[in-house]
Amino acid sequence: MSELRRRDLLRGLATAGLGAAAGAAGGWGVAQLTDVDPDPPAAAGIEPVDPHGRHQAGIVRPGTPQPHGLLAVLDLAGTPDRTSLVRLTRDLGERISALTGAASGDAVAAAQSEAGLFDGAGDLTVTVGLGPRLVSAIDPSLPGSEDLPEFASDAGLALERRGGDLLLAGYGSDPNATASAVTWLAASIAGARIRWSQRLFRGPSQGTITRNPLGFHDGVIVPRTETELNEHVWLPEGPLAGGAVCVIRRLRLDTSRFHGASRTEQEAVIGRRRADGAPLSGGGQRDEVDLLAKTPEGEYLTPARSHARAAHPSFTGSNLMLRRGYSFDDGTLPDGTRDAGLMFVCFQRELRTFVQTQHRLDETDDLMGFTTATASGTFLILPGFSRNRPLGAALS
Amino acid sequence: MTLALATLLLAGCSSPAEPPVADAPSVVQVPADAPTISEAVDLVAEGGMVLVSPGTYEEEVTIDKAGVTLRGLDRNETVIDGGGTRAFGVFASADGVRIENLTVHSTLFYGVLVTGMHDENGPLAHGGPGYTELDPSEFPPVERFSIDHVTAYNNGLYGIYAFNARHGQIVDSYASGSADSGFYVGQCEECDILVARNVAERNAIGFENANASDSVTIAGNRFAGNRVGMTLVSNYQEAFTPQRENLVVGNLIAGNENGESPAHALGAFGIGLALNGGQRNTVLSNRIEGNPTAGVLLSNAEDIPSLANEFRLNQLSANGLDAADISASRAPSEGNCFADNTASTSSPAELVSTTCPAEGATSGGGTLPELTVPRGLSFLDIPPPPAQPQLADLESAPDRLPDALPAVAADEYPLPAVDLLADRAAVT
Repeated sequence: MSELRRRDLLRGLATAGLGAAAGAAGGWGVAQLTDVDPDPPAAAGIEPVDPHGRHQAGIVRPGTPQPHGLLAVLDLAGTPDRTSLVRLTRDLGERISALTGAASGDAVAAAQSEAGLFDGAGDLTVTVGLGPRLVSAIDPSLPGSEDLPEFASDAGLALERRGGDLLLAGYGSDPNATASAVTWLAASIAGARIRWSQRLFRGPSQGTITRNPLGFHDGVIVPRTETELNEHVWLPEGPLAGGAVCVIRRLRLDTSRFHGASRTEQEAVIGRRRADGAPLSGGGQRDEVDLLAKTPEGEYLTPARSHARAAHPSFTGSNLMLRRGYSFDDGTLPDGTRDAGLMFVCFQRELRTFVQTQHRLDETDDLMGFTTATASGTFLILPGFSRNRPLGAALS
Repeated sequence: MTLALATLLLAGCSSPAEPPVADAPSVVQVPADAPTISEAVDLVAEGGMVLVSPGTYEEEVTIDKAGVTLRGLDRNETVIDGGGTRAFGVFASADGVRIENLTVHSTLFYGVLVTGMHDENGPLAHGGPGYTELDPSEFPPVERFSIDHVTAYNNGLYGIYAFNARHGQIVDSYASGSADSGFYVGQCEECDILVARNVAERNAIGFENANASDSVTIAGNRFAGNRVGMTLVSNYQEAFTPQRENLVVGNLIAGNENGESPAHALGAFGIGLALNGGQRNTVLSNRIEGNPTAGVLLSNAEDIPSLANEFRLNQLSANGLDAADISASRAPSEGNCFADNTASTSSPAELVSTTCPAEGATSGGGTLPELTVPRGLSFLDIPPPPAQPQLADLESAPDRLPDALPAVAADEYPLPAVDLLADRAAVT
């Protein structure tokens, strides 16, 4: 997009942001910007996702994650104070509303056209998170103000791939439109610089469950019902209620070595059957792993160093994470390494849930031997927003 | 006169709330009065006694009637056989139950179990942890229990097991061939539990305590010839972390390198006493010898460190390392101290010279000798134990169990000899 058009648009948003009624956003130069196809060819079966609600979209809404994504981690120049941060998130929320059709028709058309969504938003969602540097500058007692510790599995993780100030996670059925939308949003933030970004994809899903790049089912045991999500995922009280603490880990996987192992060896590493995802201790795919079941000789049916045992929250006294991972594939590095694997994305009420689990994985999980962390960060997922409650209002 | 009346009133207050069924017998004989132990328990009056003649009983016995005494007339010949298929031998959920002078073997999970953690379908303890914890406040602990002169062998998880139970004792008993631990005390606060004069051998672990705290005394036991002698563990899978404030006194914890046992599921072998996130325990006058990995092993349980444990006057010798601290840097141990022990080898090397008190001293990062761990044997294939001594008085109806145990003086259990309770053991 041309710099000129971007500036026009930002000026238009600034005008809209002055508090005028939605219909007053007439100064947008709409006529020359509106080139969205009113009858896009690929829209069949794709339902728009409401950006507004108690929680941001892109976490449990839609229930089955869209097949494509672009995840961008940004840094901000300087340290914004509370007022500037509230303004920044409010503007971001308004742009997301406009992009995804939850604003006046003119604003929607302008934003979609500017961002390159020429077939409309489809099922696009964009989720916004704030890094610990920004959150702790506002109030170090807030959830999300604490950064991740150094994990044993962080060895070799480049400094520029750790942390970050702002997370923009866009998901949709149209990979290019999704990427355009996130890129446009990132470019709209004054003083922001993309630290790193990653295109994402995932195979056919049933809710959160999909096969990961190792060929095994992922996202099987996650909180699903309203009660479970309230207990395990959403911040329960205070101004940030309805938000969550997110952790992302870009995990390069040694899939060729893993696929070279026998099925039995692979299943022992994962703790589940490859065919249907059922626990090695028995039952069906969604049945709980029986951690105590043993052979008569005293060996665990779910092996001692299997991922299913290592990651089980009962050992660390943790809540259950909502995991919503994607695959990535950046091809082959000059040294022949395949730079492909799993973008682990999880949401929980407290950072401890992830931290204690990752420590345990580093100590007891054979799957870690196939895994190299290549990016890592934690972000406070702001509570949801609406026309009357701007994104980030909780911070003011 | 006033005093006598007060005594009567107190006695009245402490008697069971439900009136006894008028014609229920106070003593029921098996098989003379009832063909099975379960039917005898149904028949007997609250506070009564079931006497079981020698024989093999293929049943799961549930005691949900307060104050019942279940007593075998021959400890070695009155046998409850789980057949490798039944979940438990005896399960007591009522207050004030005594289990005495019998043998339980070949159950899938528990030989003898006392727990308040149950529903109408049976015990919930270790039914397999779900993703939502059971709330201990919904399951009041069993109050007052006694397991005395009981033999439990070749049971799939635990031989003799008290979980969510208080004010009780496990004494003069024997456990072998358990795929988890021979004896287990878990999940209680202000437990007031005595584990004394027992023998555990040929188990994956001799004795285990997870989250049983304050006033647990483990005294004068023989924990020898297992894969791991005994453990004090904090475990997030159960309530009341961290484990704390036990007295471990006068035990023999020796030669725990016996491959004629089921495997320890995490591969542990050659360890005497392991503290995994245990805190403020006192370990006094124990003989801890011949454990080829480590005599005393300290580690963290996830983010729970091993803190402020005191080791005094123990005979630590001929172990792979007399003491080791392998705590991870995420939860280093702190304030553990050693005074007047014979220990000479440790990792880190300065560990055993950490004198008491040792406030603020952190430790960890030790390394253990590498051992070849033998494969486990099926819990059903471990040789049966030698004949065990009988309860002295088989005739008299016992007194009501006390509300609290009499205090144990540490000097009742001095440093034991190497042959402590060897006459009851197969592995010597």
